Amino acid sequence: MTFTAPQIDYAGLSPIITLTAGVVIVLMVGLLPRAGRWTCSVLTLGVLGTAAGLAIWQWGEHTDLVAGTLRLDELGLAALLIALFAAAVTVILSVREPAAEGAGHGAFYALLLGSVLGMAILSMSQNLVSFFIGLELLSIPLYVLCGSAVRREASLEAGLKYLIIGSVGSATLLYGFALIYGTAGSTDYNEIAQGIRNGGLADDTLILIGTAMAATGLAFKISIAPFHQWTPDVYQGAPTPVTSFMAVATKTVAFIASIRLFELALGPVEASWDGALAVLAVISIAVGNIGALGQDSIKRLLGYSGIAQAGYILSGLVVFDEFGVEAIIFYLAAYALMNLAVFVPLVARERETPFADDIRSVEGLGGSRPLLAWPMTIGLLGLAGIPGTVGFMGKLFLIEAAVGGHFTWIGVAIVVGSMVSLAYYLRVIAAIWMRPEPAGAGAPAIAGASPEAPESNSAPGSTHGGDSSASRPGSTHGGDSSASRPGSTHGGDSSASRPGSPGGSRCWLIVGVGMLCAAATIFFGIDPSPLVDWAANAGQSFDPFAG
Amino acid sequence: MLQSYLPILVFATLGILVGGAFVLLNGIIGPRKPNKVKIEPYECGLPSQVQRTFRFGVSFYMLAMLFILFDIEVVFLYPVGVLVSAAGSIFLLVEIIIFVVLLMTALVFVWARGALDWK
Repeated sequence: MTFTAPQIDYAGLSPIITLTAGVVIVLMVGLLPRAGRWTCSVLTLGVLGTAAGLAIWQWGEHTDLVAGTLRLDELGLAALLIALFAAAVTVILSVREPAAEGAGHGAFYALLLGSVLGMAILSMSQNLVSFFIGLELLSIPLYVLCGSAVRREASLEAGLKYLIIGSVGSATLLYGFALIYGTAGSTDYNEIAQGIRNGGLADDTLILIGTAMAATGLAFKISIAPFHQWTPDVYQGAPTPVTSFMAVATKTVAFIASIRLFELALGPVEASWDGALAVLAVISIAVGNIGALGQDSIKRLLGYSGIAQAGYILSGLVVFDEFGVEAIIFYLAAYALMNLAVFVPLVARERETPFADDIRSVEGLGGSRPLLAWPMTIGLLGLAGIPGTVGFMGKLFLIEAAVGGHFTWIGVAIVVGSMVSLAYYLRVIAAIWMRPEPAGAGAPAIAGASPEAPESNSAPGSTHGGDSSASRPGSTHGGDSSASRPGSTHGGDSSASRPGSPGGSRCWLIVGVGMLCAAATIFFGIDPSPLVDWAANAGQSFDPFAG
Repeated sequence: MLQSYLPILVFATLGILVGGAFVLLNGIIGPRKPNKVKIEPYECGLPSQVQRTFRFGVSFYMLAMLFILFDIEVVFLYPVGVLVSAAGSIFLLVEIIIFVVLLMTALVFVWARGALDWK
């Protein structure tokens, strides 16, 4: 018997290998008795940075990896880079997260890295099997991360809800894949397209049902209406850094994977799915924007806003041309910057005030904490699509792509949706700049301090009160609030055991990340050409439209 | 051709004879002292009829889950075990070592987190 070792392109796989090794290393280092929160987070940042460096090194390569199941091109690498950036921001936000403390830092960051690993595989996959593996590897750690604040009922509920809905989505997707494979005779995207073309199967019932089921399964993951009901609940219940990661990275990678699936494998069936997806896009825009109007919880508001944004982005997929793909990549990068600029101050405020993610937590922020108020304002304006921000350029490209692809009515829906969205984005901005700071906002939370905020038991004080087994109770939160609000009153446990002021620079780290995202939002809004070139580069590497 | 089935016939006959003989002997000369546990169908020590209020240790569920995980993953070692010497490939060996190292990492993790302690 002869056995020949397969040719493996280690260079092309290097980001994936790095992330895999990173999961193992972070998990093991987290077990060391002396590993504090900084050891694991710095190590995780190192892994993410290395993977990003390797991805940039591989930029420009076009090869098939692992017997053609993965495709190394700029499209996948662009998605990976956005996901790595979002993960890095999440790590910085999670350093003082009670959920990470409770779950153990090693496990928390290892799960995060595992999810990023799934994203790397998913964004590169051009095979139904690797697609599914990537999707599950992405999702399963996220289910756990959502429920990682084990002492908060809402977090557990979010984790369970996401698990059940996600499983339904995965099952639907898998059923669709089975039908596509059964009819087209292959799991490889190129061969599926070939099989459909050669067999004249574009109107075949099984292919159409399979396409519909795959689209449904993906719509669950990207939270496209009418498969969106889980989104606001899960966004609200999950620990906020995890929410920011889910909102940005999952959406990006799932969209890139959908681009490959729909435009490459199911390209020959395009005439059948584009109308359906266009209707879903418009429904999402309507549902998301209307749903967000009455929300008092900023995380719920961002959940609905994410549904609407998914609708905008979907229009780029519908038009089925290269410009649509480029518009999607541009918008996804823009979306990452804007959304993170909003989430960073939200996390900071959540730990400083007793209002959790209620809109009152940001009231009066403009006067008391301008360095947090500005990123949030810029991020919200960007999400609304105000000129001068990258969100405006992104929407412009999407509308241009929609109109160019004879879907003018989606372009109209995007414009109307953006106008409606101003109502709720501006409401938050008005709260930041035009309201006085509510009484007691400076005090770290005491459980039950605000009866209206159902998540008040999620606030730091109570979490750490119950969490006395954690390594350094009390000091965890003393840092942030004392650095940012000198002279303010502290809740019992944090002032009692607070050793000095350990958190000054760490708070500045969070503020710095927020400012960075906001600055990028403005910079690319004024001079979008670097980002446009980047998106065009990524879009051109993926060319199924010739055939 | 039928001759090749002869060993099966011999095996079945012997099996019936020997097995039957032991059952018969047991029935004739064995002592009979039935108690509640003895007369239940054999099921790994667990009660065979589970009541609605039946309770068992949470630790058992954790161990059982981990057992299934590792058990299934070890199944993957068999095909490689069959192949590895015939193939004579360092690549194959390294692959399987990486696989086992990943499994060991998981084992170390659950061990260190106390999932294997019977509480």
